[in-house]
Amino acid sequence: MDFSPIFENYPLYLDGLVTTVKLVGMSLIIGFGLAVPLAVLRTSSNPLVNGPVWAFTYFFRGTPLLVQMFLIYYGLGQLQFMIDLSQRHDFLKDAYWYALLAFTLNTGAYTTEIIRGAIMGTPYGEIEAARACGMSKLQTYRRIILPSAFRRALPAYSNEVIFMLHGSAIASVITIVDLTGAARIVNSRYFTPYEAFISAAVLYLCLTFLIVGGFRRLERHWFAHLRPREETTGRRKVGQAA
Amino acid sequence: MALAETGTATVAAAAALVAEDIHKSFGELEVLKGVSLTAREGDVIAMLGSSGSGKSTFLRCMNLLERPNAGRITVAGETLRLRPAKQGDGLEAEDAEQIRRIRARLAMVFQNFNLWSHMTVLQNVIEAPVHVLRRPKAEAVEYAGEILRKVGLYDRRDSYPAHLSGGQQQRVAIARALAMDPAVMLFDEPTSALDPELVGEVLRVIRGLAEEGRTMIVVTHEMGFAREVSSETVFLHEGRVEEQGPPQEVFSNPRSLRFRQFLEGNLK
Repeated sequence: MDFSPIFENYPLYLDGLVTTVKLVGMSLIIGFGLAVPLAVLRTSSNPLVNGPVWAFTYFFRGTPLLVQMFLIYYGLGQLQFMIDLSQRHDFLKDAYWYALLAFTLNTGAYTTEIIRGAIMGTPYGEIEAARACGMSKLQTYRRIILPSAFRRALPAYSNEVIFMLHGSAIASVITIVDLTGAARIVNSRYFTPYEAFISAAVLYLCLTFLIVGGFRRLERHWFAHLRPREETTGRRKVGQAA
Repeated sequence: MALAETGTATVAAAAALVAEDIHKSFGELEVLKGVSLTAREGDVIAMLGSSGSGKSTFLRCMNLLERPNAGRITVAGETLRLRPAKQGDGLEAEDAEQIRRIRARLAMVFQNFNLWSHMTVLQNVIEAPVHVLRRPKAEAVEYAGEILRKVGLYDRRDSYPAHLSGGQQQRVAIARALAMDPAVMLFDEPTSALDPELVGEVLRVIRGLAEEGRTMIVVTHEMGFAREVSSETVFLHEGRVEEQGPPQEVFSNPRSLRFRQFLEGNLK
């Protein structure tokens, strides 16, 4: 067992880590932004409105992420106009953007369904109370339905974030040097598969811990209304003392 | 009531809510067969009736939570413009702006409280004043404090609804309705979901509002409350007003046979 190649190449791992965090972070943020309006459309009773959204989520949840990424990276690259376009715009030659697009659409589809489920779970009486005091549809969504739905969606969404982080490892297949990509480079140079990949695994594990911890904090803040009374007051006292 | 006696012109102006000939069917079942009701300012109208008599449906037609099939609704002098619904049957508001304005004038208290569970007591109370009436937040918070003191829950203002008893939740719901300064308060069986020992605290609050001169329509099963607090008692049976008048009269001297039977069933 020799970890010296890892330590010698730590900038490579660090760059890989940054790439992974950026790639996953950006696709999660854009994907979430996409998912909120789509989830609202998805709850519409009009098939012309919810049908296309249903088809989108069905496709992206029904096919492997790797296949989606190949379709977008290799598939788009086969089209003549994309070839012409990438002659003029250099960034279109970078695999990063294709991975970002694939990840964004994928997490967008999953998140749409998560939020849709949470929207459907809004107690009807709360919506009725909003209507009865004169709120418009938009206000009802913004003030009542979505804030309440996000809270319910949080546990499922934290899983989605972790899946996305781990799923992002496949970006290394299309030349992106993310965390897994860095490990693959070190492995191919020194032929130390165990050391190379266990180091990447440890870093993924650390990221996962950070994500879980972050969501726990969010839940503590947002789930105050669901916690038993003793615990709420107890925590407030701790907060006041601090 | 005092206003009403000063002249005919003020009689019309002092009508807080006028419902004329309200009809409502659910499919084949006709629930309301032409119910009319006038609430003048300061009136406390108790609506009684066995379950299925249409009293809750009538109340829910007033703010269009339920679409009536026919009828006219006037709130504080403004008649609600209705048109046949584009989807489904019944009538819907012609002007979305107008129905929101009228709903804001008609505060409703529900049987199941329907507080917004992700908001604290205070947030529940200031939500509509700030976001519907566009009042400055500081002003809304101050007013909410006043109201919460009145319903005896000021020290629970930072609690979440799930941490309150049913009676407390209903008092918050009443505070939420009061915060809108409504022309008429609509109570839809406000004590029916409560344990018997919690009914009293909610009725006390409603009684206090009646004494203040609030205009209210209260759908209830509480006979004692209707008799002691209401200025007018209305008995609904099979979608029609069967008996109507001051409680002293209708309770001691009911004209309709159905109401007499209803009272006997309840007074046993």
